[in-house]
Amino acid sequence: MPKYFGYAGRILRVDLTKNKIKTEPTEKGLIMEFIGGRGFNSRRLYEEVPASVDPLSPENKLMFATGPLVGTAFPLGARFNVSAKSPLTGILGDSNAGGHFAAEVKFAGYDQIIIEGRSPKPCLIFIQDRETQILDAAHLVGKDVYETTEIVRKDLGRRVQVATVGPAAENLVPYSGVFVNLARPAARTGMGTVMASKNLKAVVLKGTGSVKIADSGAFWRIVEEIEEETYAHPQYWPRRVMGTTRILSLANDLGFLPTRHFTSATFEHAAKVSGERLAREYNVKNRACFSCIVPCSRIYVVREGDYAGLYGEGPEYEALSSFTARVGNSNLNLALKAVDLANRLGLDAITTAECIAWAMELHERGDLDKEETDGLELDWGNGKIILELIEKIAYRKGFGDLLADGVRRAAEKLGKGKEIAFHVKGLELIQADPRGLKGYGLGYAVSSRGADHLRSEPFLELSDDPDKGMEKFGIPEATLRLAYKGKGRLVRYFENWCAVTDSLEICKNLAENMELLPLKRAAEITEAVTGLHFTKESMWEIGERIVNLERAYLVREGITRKDDQLPARFVKEPLPNGSSKGSVFEMEPMLNEYYEERGWDSNGIPKRQKLRETRLEYVVKDLKRSPVKTRQKKNLKERCS
Amino acid sequence: MKRIVVDVDRCSGCRLCEVVCSFAHENVFGPSVSRITVLKEDAFGFDLPVTCWHCRRCLAIESCPSKALTKNPEGLVYANEGKCTGCGKCVKACYVGAIKLHPERHTPLICDLCGGKPLCVRKCPTKALTYSETRLQRPKLPSKVLEETLRKWRIVA
Repeated sequence: MPKYFGYAGRILRVDLTKNKIKTEPTEKGLIMEFIGGRGFNSRRLYEEVPASVDPLSPENKLMFATGPLVGTAFPLGARFNVSAKSPLTGILGDSNAGGHFAAEVKFAGYDQIIIEGRSPKPCLIFIQDRETQILDAAHLVGKDVYETTEIVRKDLGRRVQVATVGPAAENLVPYSGVFVNLARPAARTGMGTVMASKNLKAVVLKGTGSVKIADSGAFWRIVEEIEEETYAHPQYWPRRVMGTTRILSLANDLGFLPTRHFTSATFEHAAKVSGERLAREYNVKNRACFSCIVPCSRIYVVREGDYAGLYGEGPEYEALSSFTARVGNSNLNLALKAVDLANRLGLDAITTAECIAWAMELHERGDLDKEETDGLELDWGNGKIILELIEKIAYRKGFGDLLADGVRRAAEKLGKGKEIAFHVKGLELIQADPRGLKGYGLGYAVSSRGADHLRSEPFLELSDDPDKGMEKFGIPEATLRLAYKGKGRLVRYFENWCAVTDSLEICKNLAENMELLPLKRAAEITEAVTGLHFTKESMWEIGERIVNLERAYLVREGITRKDDQLPARFVKEPLPNGSSKGSVFEMEPMLNEYYEERGWDSNGIPKRQKLRETRLEYVVKDLKRSPVKTRQKKNLKERCS
Repeated sequence: MKRIVVDVDRCSGCRLCEVVCSFAHENVFGPSVSRITVLKEDAFGFDLPVTCWHCRRCLAIESCPSKALTKNPEGLVYANEGKCTGCGKCVKACYVGAIKLHPERHTPLICDLCGGKPLCVRKCPTKALTYSETRLQRPKLPSKVLEETLRKWRIVA
């Protein structure tokens, strides 16, 4: 019996090359420093996957991890992180998803699953109550996500939870995701590709275990507080009715909806493809992740028009906006079909849409000949071509093969369109124009996995309320979305909060955007569940530690200030329309403030003192040897001699 | 008789009922020891909580070779763990699948309505579960509910 509760207490290690299965205890030291989930993964990745490892080689390791609150009746969702070195960006790869997979990991008896090596033939890992088997999966090769899940459930039991990859991953498209519960992908940074590169088609779980907690009195008191607040929250019903798709209209009104590849900030057909329309005309019911009290996922049925009879779960704002505004498509049915197709093939909708939109803009400029695109007329919103391209990308056919490497490599290979390839560190931008949201923009630039909002998500700036900025950060401009001052402090605060939320594996929509799990309450609930002592301060420190460790990982890979930049369009071209019209994005002052807040040097490298404060002494020696420092020394030597 | 009645259109499939049930009865969070089970079909987004209806004529009681299953004076199906041999015949006999065996004790887990205040009903976030008077003598077959629901959503004709 461990001295702490909440955790399963075991970490599973599967070596596919040697066909070896090992378990290790979840150590208390690791828990106190990283809590779980993303923290666990980042720590192991730092230790076990050094800079020299090729992301698609057997040396890369794929890790699934959950947190201490997962599997209990804690009402704010249950997620898992999947991490490895990313084949898309070449740096830290990490993505998380909800559904029912995470809880099953705990019930099967593990906190983290680490997959190493490469199987000689297609296989799947079947974990049933601490019994792990590596089974043959030849019959699943080439099957899409939905088919694979269905076949596995038929073979191994209706109630098993399946994490699988689609054909895109098998074709090594570097932005394919790991899918659970059919339509819930951990899609960003290409974790599915890493999984497929190990010849692993699925991780299947079934567990009859349970989670025990330390202090049930405190647990239920906090849960009841949260329930009360949630049901009275002004966002409760909008989220329940529309999920995140409600953001589409909001983004259009506030002028940050990336339309036609960020050439416009408002979309004239926004009402036709909005979450409101989806809720009114398509949705039949709501669904939720494990133990979550806000059922924000929706089942839609297309009743008439094109693709009538199509049904499925979702989509969320990112995927919806990907295949509507971003590619200039005003046909909602078609967008639903595109999201469904991307899900089945196992692609990341955001990156796929960026690649397609990039090609469309090149075509509009006249930079792309018909011969280069296999005769496809890449006009904005051309539905047939969008669907055809998604399929071509997944199977790497013709023009799709170029787009299948991500927009950074596509631009390099084609030799044009580099300035309109919208990515940071190789990861494509999400659906919010940073010119209309400065804090989010800074978040994209400094995020440890590339251009993504989920590392910081400084939603407070959407409130445009200077009082909040004054109260929380002592700088009124911090919460004004078009102001620059105070954004460093804002982003640091939210990055630390997100790191803790990710490590507890709780949904950020609820914990963060609805402000239901501030750090103080996070500490209380973690203490009630685990019986270990946590405070608001120790939670903050954990957040700080995770962000610094991930930064150190990036620095070891050669990332510095020059990579913490946004694409040229956002810095140079003012927004042409919408309510943020005329804005550009000024990077440098915000970046300086952010580095200073973080205790990093002007190059974006954590200072030794900062690392010592966050108890990351083991990182110091790696940073000393980092390619950047070596290069600097070499330059200095050359200059001196 | 008051029973746990399910509104299938409202159920979000979150399985909170399973974990609060297991906590109320076994003091742990684990769906494998809950007395309510959510049947799920991800492909259609279909979720159906299933628990003991305490049917007037209970097929599980009839199937029990050791007479461990009986009805108590209020008409609730009840397992006498001392007599139970763990054969699992009741699990197969219950036609909605409301009974499962405890993974360690191998005795049947049957809903006791929490003594008249079912916790799953109280905690259900979407009010899909209600504790109400119903005259229906036996619940609908899950496959029938699925079929009806899909027809209602116009997923099948």
